[in-house]
Amino acid sequence: MSAPSLVSPAAPAAAPIPPPPTVVDRLIAVVGDRNVIRDPVDLRTYECDGLTSFRAAPSVVVLPASTEEVAAVVKIAVEAGMPIVPRGAGTGLSGGALPIPGCVLLGLSRMKRILEIDLDNGWIRVQPGVINLDVSKEISAAGYYYAPDPSSQSVCTIGGNVAENSGGAHCLKYGFTVNHVRGVRMVTSAGEVVDIGGPVLDPPGYDLLGVVVGSEGTLGIVTEVVLRILRKPEATRTFFATFPSTDEAGVCVSEIIGAGIIPAAIEMMDRLAIKAAVAATGVDWPDVGAALLMDVDGNAAEAEHTSAVALAIARRTGALEVRVPKDDDERTLMWKGRKSAFGAMGHLAPNYIVQDGVIPRKDVGPVLAEIARLSQERGLRVANVFHAGDGNLHPLVLYDAKVPGQEHAAEELGGEILRLCIRYGGSITGEHGVGADKAPYMAEMFTEADLDTMAKVRCAFDPGTTFNPSKVFPTPRLCGDRPGPYRPHATELAGVADRG
Amino acid sequence: MSASAASLEDLAAARQERPATLAEAAEVLRRADRNGERLFFLGGGTELSLGAPPDGVDVVLGTERLERIVEHAPLDQIVTVEAGVRLASLEDLLAASGQMLALDPPWASRATLGGLVATNAFGPRRTRYGSIRDLIIGISIVRADGTEARGGGKVVKNVAGFDLPKLMIGSLGTLGFIATVTFRLHPRPETERTVRFPDLDADGVRRVVLALRQAQLEPGAVAALVHEGGDDLGVRFDGRFELGVRFEGFEAGVRQQGMKLLELATRQGWGAESLGAETARSFWARHDDARESPAGFRVKLAAQPMDLERVANAAVGSLFTALEVPRCVCYPTLGLAFVAGEVRVPGQVAAAVTAAREALPQGSVVLQAAPPEVRGAVDVWGPRPPAFALMGQLKQRLDPGRRLAPGRFVGGL
Repeated sequence: MSAPSLVSPAAPAAAPIPPPPTVVDRLIAVVGDRNVIRDPVDLRTYECDGLTSFRAAPSVVVLPASTEEVAAVVKIAVEAGMPIVPRGAGTGLSGGALPIPGCVLLGLSRMKRILEIDLDNGWIRVQPGVINLDVSKEISAAGYYYAPDPSSQSVCTIGGNVAENSGGAHCLKYGFTVNHVRGVRMVTSAGEVVDIGGPVLDPPGYDLLGVVVGSEGTLGIVTEVVLRILRKPEATRTFFATFPSTDEAGVCVSEIIGAGIIPAAIEMMDRLAIKAAVAATGVDWPDVGAALLMDVDGNAAEAEHTSAVALAIARRTGALEVRVPKDDDERTLMWKGRKSAFGAMGHLAPNYIVQDGVIPRKDVGPVLAEIARLSQERGLRVANVFHAGDGNLHPLVLYDAKVPGQEHAAEELGGEILRLCIRYGGSITGEHGVGADKAPYMAEMFTEADLDTMAKVRCAFDPGTTFNPSKVFPTPRLCGDRPGPYRPHATELAGVADRG
Repeated sequence: MSASAASLEDLAAARQERPATLAEAAEVLRRADRNGERLFFLGGGTELSLGAPPDGVDVVLGTERLERIVEHAPLDQIVTVEAGVRLASLEDLLAASGQMLALDPPWASRATLGGLVATNAFGPRRTRYGSIRDLIIGISIVRADGTEARGGGKVVKNVAGFDLPKLMIGSLGTLGFIATVTFRLHPRPETERTVRFPDLDADGVRRVVLALRQAQLEPGAVAALVHEGGDDLGVRFDGRFELGVRFEGFEAGVRQQGMKLLELATRQGWGAESLGAETARSFWARHDDARESPAGFRVKLAAQPMDLERVANAAVGSLFTALEVPRCVCYPTLGLAFVAGEVRVPGQVAAAVTAAREALPQGSVVLQAAPPEVRGAVDVWGPRPPAFALMGQLKQRLDPGRRLAPGRFVGGL
């Protein structure tokens, strides 16, 4: 975020630092020649993830096929003193898989086998390169599914989900990746393979799993994951409601939740986001100030009851129109409209920044008003799409990179929105992760002591800071010596410089 | 409440600190750091027997005066409490706004929230709502060196930084002092109904668990008590269970699910009954008694849910034979169970524990209370976990002087 030193999407990264030849030979011996990518042109595929404004070339990309190969690659990299950056499908939006110059980029996309399914005990064991949606597809016929559903679920991998603790629209009721991971097999920075957790609950010891999930590739390389799977709910009821403005829609959300209903998902879009969805997917949504899309699920009687109550609340709180999909196809189309909202921004502006901040739900009204004010002040349009039930905002800052200064202004505006979230007691990221993008803001959300404590945890796992260094933490940290208190430079506070 | 004599005597002999504010609590840790004193954190004292007795205790930091509710935001469905807040008093506060912390462990009137996190306590509601790791969203701790630090926050959805809250769950005060905890809350269910299966063997319980899932029923709590097959000589385990399935939520859903389960049970010949309010209370009171009655010995069993028969045969049966006044609670959807009782012949109980561990190689058998004779014969934690080296590193980084309940945790950490 907000880094004038970083190049724009159009320009490629600086030329890669070539890896030592002996390293290449050793890597080839482990994974085979075709799985060691070192041609500068081929390496360009890997120079960014879903956050395309950050680019850097890795020295070499290695594509292992097994836990043993990952362990061997880790040992080689550690001996050569090269950092390791893990990567799944590269769909992350915070630059978590952004290469570090001179690094070994460890691509886990070849490890995409489903290893074991135990429906009766409620789990499935998969390799990290398995696509999120493929887990549900595999068990769907038996009536089961995997709950976390990031919008990118048809392309993102389980390994990436574990790294980022991914959420999705339905995590309001069902929780995040961390609530659905029972165990992992992980390669440590010593190149050792350890099992953390497993199918059985409450294994004795510290909850290392809780901290590995969401550690953004900084603690180890996960090579197998045991996921909890759920029986599909008996019924799902969906409705779409339009409102004059986000104020009424916000009141509606609060009242639904205040009525003791836990929706499976409740999503809000503002006027601009609705426009974009219409343009991108052809849904016939009207030009209104705000729309809500809500799912309730569970047993049939409860879903009927809660959807009836929620509909009544929507009407009472000022809904202009309420639509209930007549069949599954229409429901799917409504959700397609919502899930394609980010990509749809391309219909409104040449470029956009996706932000991901969280605020206490009750403050949605004032925060949206402040975002609108900031948007006017800077002369940039902001579309708001968000998980209204848990206060997870996704403001999309629209700009045109060809207009001088606009990209920078958009980044600044994105930063202001994050500060707003911090000021309201929220978080700088609800589901996209800190990565490279938001590392500078960690020092604004947390104290030096908080970060130092997290750094100690990291040092316990990776004392040589081999895994994904320069991510998550705002300042480089070494283990063994205690860094002095961090004081942000004035330019950082102003959002014009970056320590990524 | 279970006793472990050695550890309690140590605690009584140590200097007692009862800070009234978080700042005072942090000062206690800083002073201990300067003086090289070993600390033991004390909440409601309901689970003192967990873990091995610490190698030594110089200062006991009790949280009884840290009992402020820091923030309850009903609209955001979150609450932040100081460590010493008792669960029952929090429940009272939340009930007034139609909310609850979906956590129902034993001894709610005495247990503190800090202690519950440190011991990873749970009750039957875990069936639906998960454990503390699914409810906690933020924590503030004081490290062994006196540094105050925080992880997570007060919004449910938050992936900024490492998940320190989860790391503290079940750590028994060996990584840091839990000062405040923030939880997500749930709406209080409008109504509830319990369906009881009076007499099932382990395979029957297993089949009901599968049938619940197959029928897409979503119970709020499922618990099995050992069937009362005793005679004048005491309670014996005859391999049979009494199973309770509780549905919670809005009336329409609760009614439909209860009826569906009864129909299903009739079709299968499982002999179930829907309990009235009074009989339902009685079933859950017996559940609570089985968990809460004082016991010199208690063990927690963990296995895959479908292994219940093996748990029953290899663990519950032999422990029941070895113990006096034995009792057992199983959570069959979770694969977790507790067996408690009094020790008559320590060697016999230790042998039963060893046999249970051999029968459940993928699971765990952890002693939660036991007399010294049994502790001397079998490790309370069982074999070291595969990631033990990492756990040791973590302890080393956060408590390098080994001053926080040293030796209490897994593998002597």
